[in-house]
Amino acid sequence: MKIGALLGDVFRSLFKPPATERYPVEKKPAPMRLRGKLVYDSSKCTGCQLCAKDCPCDAIEIITIDRAAKRFIMRYRVDRCTFCAQCVESCRFGCLDLSNEEWELASVQKDPFTLTFGSEADLEAFLAKTTGAQPEAETKP
Amino acid sequence: MEKSEPKKFVVPIGPQHPALKEPGHFEFEVDGEIVTGATARFGYVHRGIEKGAETRSWIQAMYLLERVCGICSHVHATAFALGAEKLAKVTVPPRAQAIRVLVGELERLHSHMLWLGVAVHEAGFDTLFMYSWRDREIVMDLLEGLTGNRVNYSANVLGGVKIDVDDKQRDDILKGLEVLEQRAQYYLKVVTTDETFLGRTRGIGTMTYEQAELLGAVGPTGRASGVKRDVRVEAPYAAYPDFPVNLITDTRGDLEARFVVRIKELFEAIRIIREILDKMPTGEIQTKMPRRVPEGETISRVEAPRGELLYYIRSAGGDKPDRVKVRTPSLCNWGSVLTTAVGHKLADMPMILSGIDPCFSCNDRAAIIRRPDQPAQAWDWESLRLHGIEYYKR
Repeated sequence: MKIGALLGDVFRSLFKPPATERYPVEKKPAPMRLRGKLVYDSSKCTGCQLCAKDCPCDAIEIITIDRAAKRFIMRYRVDRCTFCAQCVESCRFGCLDLSNEEWELASVQKDPFTLTFGSEADLEAFLAKTTGAQPEAETKP
Repeated sequence: MEKSEPKKFVVPIGPQHPALKEPGHFEFEVDGEIVTGATARFGYVHRGIEKGAETRSWIQAMYLLERVCGICSHVHATAFALGAEKLAKVTVPPRAQAIRVLVGELERLHSHMLWLGVAVHEAGFDTLFMYSWRDREIVMDLLEGLTGNRVNYSANVLGGVKIDVDDKQRDDILKGLEVLEQRAQYYLKVVTTDETFLGRTRGIGTMTYEQAELLGAVGPTGRASGVKRDVRVEAPYAAYPDFPVNLITDTRGDLEARFVVRIKELFEAIRIIREILDKMPTGEIQTKMPRRVPEGETISRVEAPRGELLYYIRSAGGDKPDRVKVRTPSLCNWGSVLTTAVGHKLADMPMILSGIDPCFSCNDRAAIIRRPDQPAQAWDWESLRLHGIEYYKR
């Protein structure tokens, strides 16, 4: 490379906008298929447990509130999840999906990594059960 | 004064950060600046993946094996999936096979560009390192858009693939490939004409064809020495029978030839991706895979970016694999490093090491070398256990 060409490069670079992005201020839209946090639709769930069984990293737990009334809640460990989408494939009822919007999952505490999904009434029932007299009944399928 | 025998001077390199940011230990015997002997020791990142696969279901094992290597993760999952499907006698739809090859070739692009950056960085040519890693972002973004993940894409599922290619993705990939092709032309020009850089590569680490055959060099390392071997050509798997690959070889066998072969493979990968997108088979992308795989054993071979990757899979008829043995390409190429290192300057060692595109996490597999003067040894579970206990007593 000639010295002249080098100088041309230097001057051009002076007027170029920065190549970096102002990330927390400006966010690039995520691709459609980006695999972010898991989303659970408890109304379609039949409690077949296939997602929990196939999960390679033991991140999903389906807790039965009332099998006859098909009331289930899901406990999801974001810190264990590898975002492989096997659960989405395994679910035959389409109640699972990986969100492409919620992907900023960092946290300084451990608690936010354990998420519980389900309808409000079911969650309340679950909390009542876990804090009630028989705590060991909580995870019985 | 009594003259004493000159002692061997050994320069240890590693286990922390030997040329690359992965653990491996090397000892170079030197005479002044010239290396007269080399040994290597690995095993610092042994994670017990093969044993771990035996305790997981077939589906879970695929995701575990995908994590043997973070750079060529897709080929590991593909090798395992192809083997398991062969055992279960499941025929995967042609569209799924084509998508597997598509992701595999995109991965080859990203792996070769990553290697190019690392290798020129070892030569002190950081401008090209920045260029190639900047351009690698294009292919990373394509993979993210296609599969949803930037690394460990998890595109495979037993019995097919998870993702389909629609028109928008097709256009994105074609647009990205155009830029990448121009950039690859530029890299080829730089690595073959830049005088300072050629001083570090031309005639360094030369491995002849005979040496390559003797040492069992695989992949681009072997092909740079004229070894006409590529699993995609000699035993086409997945969709490679429909999309044939042109073998790229060189006869010089030095570091320059390895650069040229890998950059030419970029063009070849771009050509295959274009062909696949042009003639994508139609139809389903998944077929049903049984949870229990019938009893049997099989060998599955695929061409990883670093060379031939071999999986031995045995099923006892259950929902878990009975045995999975992985033979990774980097392991086969170390012999060539230790042999070609002799006679070169110590300062050339990082370049020779990175010239084979080593993947240290690939190396942590058990390998037993059978010497002609020693009887063959069969290791069963019990003798391995006892060996482990004895080994750690020291």
